Amino acid sequence: MEEILAILEDIQPDADYENCTTLIDDGILSSFDVLSIVGELEDTYNIRILPVEVVPANFNSARAIYDMVQRLRG
Amino acid sequence: MSFTSFSFFVLIAVCCAGYYLIPARHRHIFLLALSVVYYIAGGPVFLLYLLFAALTTYFGARVAAKGKKAAVAVPLLLDFGVLAVLKYTPLAVSLLNHLPGADFPIVRFALPLGISFYTFQSAGYLLDVYWGRCEAELSFPRYLLFVAFFPQLMQGPIGRYGSLAPQLREAHAFDIANIRRGLWRIGWGLFKKMVIADNAALYVNRIFDDYASLKSLGIEGVLMYSVQLYMDFSGGIDVALGIAEMIGIHLDENFRQPYFAQTLTDFWHRWHITLGNGMKDYLFYPISLSGWMSRLRKWSRRKLGKEIGRAFPIGVANLIIFFVVGIWHGAEWHFIVYGLYNGLIIAVSGLLTGTFRRWKKSLGITDRTRWFQAFRMLRTFVIVNISWFLDRSGSVRQAFQMFRNSFRGPIFSIHVIDPSSPSYCMSHFLPILAGCAVVLAVSIMKERGTDVLKKVSSLPSWVLAAALIGILIISAVFGNKDVGGFIYANF
Repeated sequence: MEEILAILEDIQPDADYENCTTLIDDGILSSFDVLSIVGELEDTYNIRILPVEVVPANFNSARAIYDMVQRLRG
Repeated sequence: MSFTSFSFFVLIAVCCAGYYLIPARHRHIFLLALSVVYYIAGGPVFLLYLLFAALTTYFGARVAAKGKKAAVAVPLLLDFGVLAVLKYTPLAVSLLNHLPGADFPIVRFALPLGISFYTFQSAGYLLDVYWGRCEAELSFPRYLLFVAFFPQLMQGPIGRYGSLAPQLREAHAFDIANIRRGLWRIGWGLFKKMVIADNAALYVNRIFDDYASLKSLGIEGVLMYSVQLYMDFSGGIDVALGIAEMIGIHLDENFRQPYFAQTLTDFWHRWHITLGNGMKDYLFYPISLSGWMSRLRKWSRRKLGKEIGRAFPIGVANLIIFFVVGIWHGAEWHFIVYGLYNGLIIAVSGLLTGTFRRWKKSLGITDRTRWFQAFRMLRTFVIVNISWFLDRSGSVRQAFQMFRNSFRGPIFSIHVIDPSSPSYCMSHFLPILAGCAVVLAVSIMKERGTDVLKKVSSLPSWVLAAALIGILIISAVFGNKDVGGFIYANF
């Protein structure tokens, strides 16, 4: 989880990742940010994130991103 | 059949009365019949194009649901092929004519009403089924209603199957609150269209059509165009949403105070939202997450460093998307340059995000600093208006010429539409000014979180009746009878 928080902070530092659960719904993360995060996650965890995974439910919070990564890592 | 024509109001009345009188199980057939009548009024032969798009995507989705890629590719190629032939033949021929010895005649086809909208919407459904976001529709009449639902057929909003189809399927009980909300919304849309946009069109047409002799009035022309385009397009969407609201169907919002945007990206999140969301989900993400983009990302990170290298492929994907947005607007170079202009600014600002963040930090500015917010809003408004030069001009050359001449003389004239009659000019200028003041006040309230529609819908019925009659009287007295159609109906 710390690693994911570090990635998020690096890409968009102006957000409260500990508590926010509306990162996409409230426009805190732009589509540019989301794709930057996807790129970092793919490179860091050697996973493939398909377009169908890029939905608000998977990116609205740091926890949701963490859960998606865990699921894709199998 | 225009949204502002008498026959369209008859259609709305028949729609509302019929919908609540007809048994629930037949309502979708009733709505479908009305949609077909509406479409045939624009040209019976065009219905064949719509049926073709609906049939190919309907059968394609039935097979695509089993994971067959070809069932997605073939309908998409056929439907976008038809769109390309009808819409882009003149551009292709003019490009071919640049070849030595080539002199092909430029053929222009009549465009079926809303072809770009229904092609995009049905393609979205097909992809959603393929990607498992929704189930394939088994009933063709129900699916055809999703594609052809008349309020949104002309200029959107572009509906998603997952949110619209269940609403079309559901039998909505009569609720006077829906009728009131719908009528307020329709009235608001007509006010924006007939009182503001159509009057602004007088100035826009005069200045852009005669730009060579009216040299320095480019700024006035483009500001009037920014008013006209927003009021026209969002007004038409208000009418569409209002009609659907009256029968209990909530279409997706297409605008959210776009001229209050802080950045160009933010503007595109507030302007033509359903197109932007569709482009993002069906093109931007799939392109950005494709294998070759992944290889480009790895290459750019090696060559350009972590920060720029990370943003570079996203910027490239962004340029591709805005090229498509440009060509979606029309098969002319100025639209393509318009799209690329938007894409380039967003791509460059994406590349420089880290640099901007460091500057802001060193200057002690945050995105919540009031003066900085005002500056960003003004800056975005200027950037958007520069793009409107490209959007409205007949050519790239005209756009550049008008922009260059904008600073070479007086920049504003109320009397430009008829210098011999000041009273005539004022009778068209004042409604624009007063109308914009009203829209601005409502927009500020909405931006602050007030549900204005809910507030006005709770007013007594006589206020609603007076407002609707008032709009009709103001439109009759101050409206511009020479303008009637909607700009986006041409897409």
